[in-house]
Amino acid sequence: MQYLDLFIWWAITISGGIAFLILVSIYLYANSRTKRKESRTTTNRVKLGKDFVFVWVLIGLLAFYIVSVNIRSPVIFASGNIIVEAILIVYLVKNRHEKSEQAPRPRSQ
Amino acid sequence: MIALSVILGFFNEYRAEKIVVDLRKNVSIKAVVTRDGKPSEIDSRLLVPGDLVSVYVGDIVPADMRIVESKGLQVNEAVLTGESFPVEKTSDSLDLKQPTPQQLTNYQFMGTVVVHGSGRGVVVSTGKNTEFGAISRSLARSHPETEFQKGVKKYGTMLLTLTLALAIGIFALNAAIGHPLIDSLLFSLAVAIGLVPELMPAIVTISLSQGAQKMARVRTIVKRLVSIEDFGNMNILCTDKTGTLTEGKIVLRDYYSLDEGRDLRILSYSLLCNTAVVGEKIAGNPMDVAIWEYATGNGAKESVKPYTKVDEIPFDYQRRMMSVAVRKDDELILISKGAPESVLSRCKYAEITRRNEPISSVLESINAKFFDMSQLGYRILTVAYRNVDAKTSYSVEDETDLTLLGFLVFTDPPKKDAHEAVNKLKGMGVDIKILTGDNELVAKKICDDLKVPVKRIVDGLDLTQMSSTEIREVVEETTIFARITPEQKLDIIKALKANGHVVGFMGDGVNDAPALYEADVGISVDTAVDVSKDAADIVLLEKDLLVLANGIGEGRKIFGNTTKYILMGTSSNFGNMFSAAAASVFLPFLPMLPMQILFMNLLYDVANMTLPTDNVDEEYTKWPKRWDIGFVRKYTLFFGPFSSLYDFLTYGIMLFIFGAWAATPDKAALFQSGWFVESFWTEVLVIFVIRTRRIPFLSSRPGKWLTVLTLSCVAFGTIVPFTILGNFLGFTPLPVDYWILLILMVATYLLLVDAGKVFFYKICKF
Repeated sequence: MQYLDLFIWWAITISGGIAFLILVSIYLYANSRTKRKESRTTTNRVKLGKDFVFVWVLIGLLAFYIVSVNIRSPVIFASGNIIVEAILIVYLVKNRHEKSEQAPRPRSQ
Repeated sequence: MIALSVILGFFNEYRAEKIVVDLRKNVSIKAVVTRDGKPSEIDSRLLVPGDLVSVYVGDIVPADMRIVESKGLQVNEAVLTGESFPVEKTSDSLDLKQPTPQQLTNYQFMGTVVVHGSGRGVVVSTGKNTEFGAISRSLARSHPETEFQKGVKKYGTMLLTLTLALAIGIFALNAAIGHPLIDSLLFSLAVAIGLVPELMPAIVTISLSQGAQKMARVRTIVKRLVSIEDFGNMNILCTDKTGTLTEGKIVLRDYYSLDEGRDLRILSYSLLCNTAVVGEKIAGNPMDVAIWEYATGNGAKESVKPYTKVDEIPFDYQRRMMSVAVRKDDELILISKGAPESVLSRCKYAEITRRNEPISSVLESINAKFFDMSQLGYRILTVAYRNVDAKTSYSVEDETDLTLLGFLVFTDPPKKDAHEAVNKLKGMGVDIKILTGDNELVAKKICDDLKVPVKRIVDGLDLTQMSSTEIREVVEETTIFARITPEQKLDIIKALKANGHVVGFMGDGVNDAPALYEADVGISVDTAVDVSKDAADIVLLEKDLLVLANGIGEGRKIFGNTTKYILMGTSSNFGNMFSAAAASVFLPFLPMLPMQILFMNLLYDVANMTLPTDNVDEEYTKWPKRWDIGFVRKYTLFFGPFSSLYDFLTYGIMLFIFGAWAATPDKAALFQSGWFVESFWTEVLVIFVIRTRRIPFLSSRPGKWLTVLTLSCVAFGTIVPFTILGNFLGFTPLPVDYWILLILMVATYLLLVDAGKVFFYKICKF
């Protein structure tokens, strides 16, 4: 297989992987909203955007990985990773609060 | 899994056998039978309905019998009812519709013990047709599957489907694009093996056995390992009252004169008119012992010093009272103590505020008071006296024209720590339901004393009128089930299980054995009858709800560690094998050789061996958890792709940055080595992220053995490509640049999974 063909295949595969992850995230999010009986009309766009920060990070990562691998530069790949790690740490610090760590009380039967 | 099934199967068989042996031990007895007017002793198995059987003190009742003659007959029915107080039996006919066994005072039941008097009865049913036999019949079946076993079965089905689909898909795709059939087959098989968490039986068994040891330290003995998870996950505990919420021991609550005051003479007289043997320990009749214990505890035993005992008229079950003649200075007093109706019938006066009133003027109100108190579970003894003339001996004829002095109130008091224990269990998400043979007033009184909120009380008689659907509704909102039969206990547990609860049942009588068997977790106590202990999954060394609460906490930790393995195994294995499958389609060589996949799988399993020793976050043990296969599926779907994503990224790096796209054998080996190390690092190190909902290491520390072994395995996996073993497996040393990229890439991966965890737990509850 030629380099370009292989690269296209690879790009399709990794994009497919991230697309699958995003679809699962959307499905789980929608599913949880349905269970909590939240209607669409109550959805705040800002809130939705915040809830999906994680998905935006994934999309960003995809673009970065495809570009850096295409450029074939270990330095860009390494420095890009460090930036991504910094972003993730900020995300974690902002989103990690006690409540999210608590196991919920089970639903009454 | 097969080995686990075999071992569990063996223990089930062994236990069933032991139960039968214990039952036989209890029922292989002799009986004195009168046939053709001649009494003879025969094996109880030869009895037939219609036989006339005599029983005496110490006898085990050989069959279910209708009593035709009773001489102070008292029977201990604890083996059937769990209640420790002897029950008085008479030949009087009863007018009851659908009576419960407890109400049949003119019946004796097989397996119960005669503790006083004697009697004769006509055999009504024998062997398996008796109440005892019904219990043994219900035990002659296999133990129902626990919630945990059902969960494992569902998980196995899910995994099998996933593995088969992936393995067949990989083989078909590889064959279709022209890869050699044998290579394709071996690769798809290796992927299938990689997906199977083959260490799960070992992890579960290690978790359970270590948990059993820890639970033994909190005085909880686990008889059936597989029940530990359900023990931790139970959300309803059905229990009896005696010995669990109460002390299971009779104590003197107080003594009262008829004007509701407290006259010390009542206590002094009842100490004098007493059969307890007082030495270093106080022994004898439980009520007499209770009087002495009360007097000792309240510094009142000196009050008997001015008295000298002259004579005694012993207790007998016809009179149901005893008397003593005592001297104080020049005064001779006859003191009588006994059952209210017996003493009252011999009283002429009642002493009210130191004045004697005719008994007839107060009899009605006294009887009403005694009735109310007995309905609340109190036992009453009355004390009466009269002055007598001096003579050499006294007899029952002297027990007349007595003056009623007052009464003693006995109770089986609530346990001191029962309130704390009930609250602790409630705080752990375990609701308590009381299943008792006593009436509802007694049970309600105990609950009120312990401040246990009672939503609803249902009587056993009402329960008999209900359909199974109605029972399923009623069990949800009922706290106390009063006057219920063993069959009804079983119905209640079945209904609760059908409603989706994980049900624990705590009992100690033979009659509890079927319910112990049916419950998800059968809990008995060390002092219980053998059949009950054999039928139980868990045996407490103390009949104490606090001991139970501690055991539940341990059970939850074990479930937590088992769940961690399953979640990690399915998600990271699934991710890795999925990326292997995808790569095998577009790569000109196999992304990893079958032997390399199996080697990685082996190392991963070794790293997981210490998972049962891991710490479990406190919040995880707060509430009961359920096996939720839907959650496992969502978890796999969400976290699996993370692993795949970084596998794909490694492919890109190896192919395009390190030139493996050229597909020469050297480059293929480089690719395989690079992916092996990355895949292994991510697969193993993610344990530290997934094992907790908190910030890994900072707010939740992993177990030290887990940390040591995991990091050792990572180190070993890292150096393998540089060793002879690595050479043998087809690996090649990796360049320094790769290691730098790998460290950064894995760090990003772990942070991304942690971020994914925050997102995931916001929307998926477990």
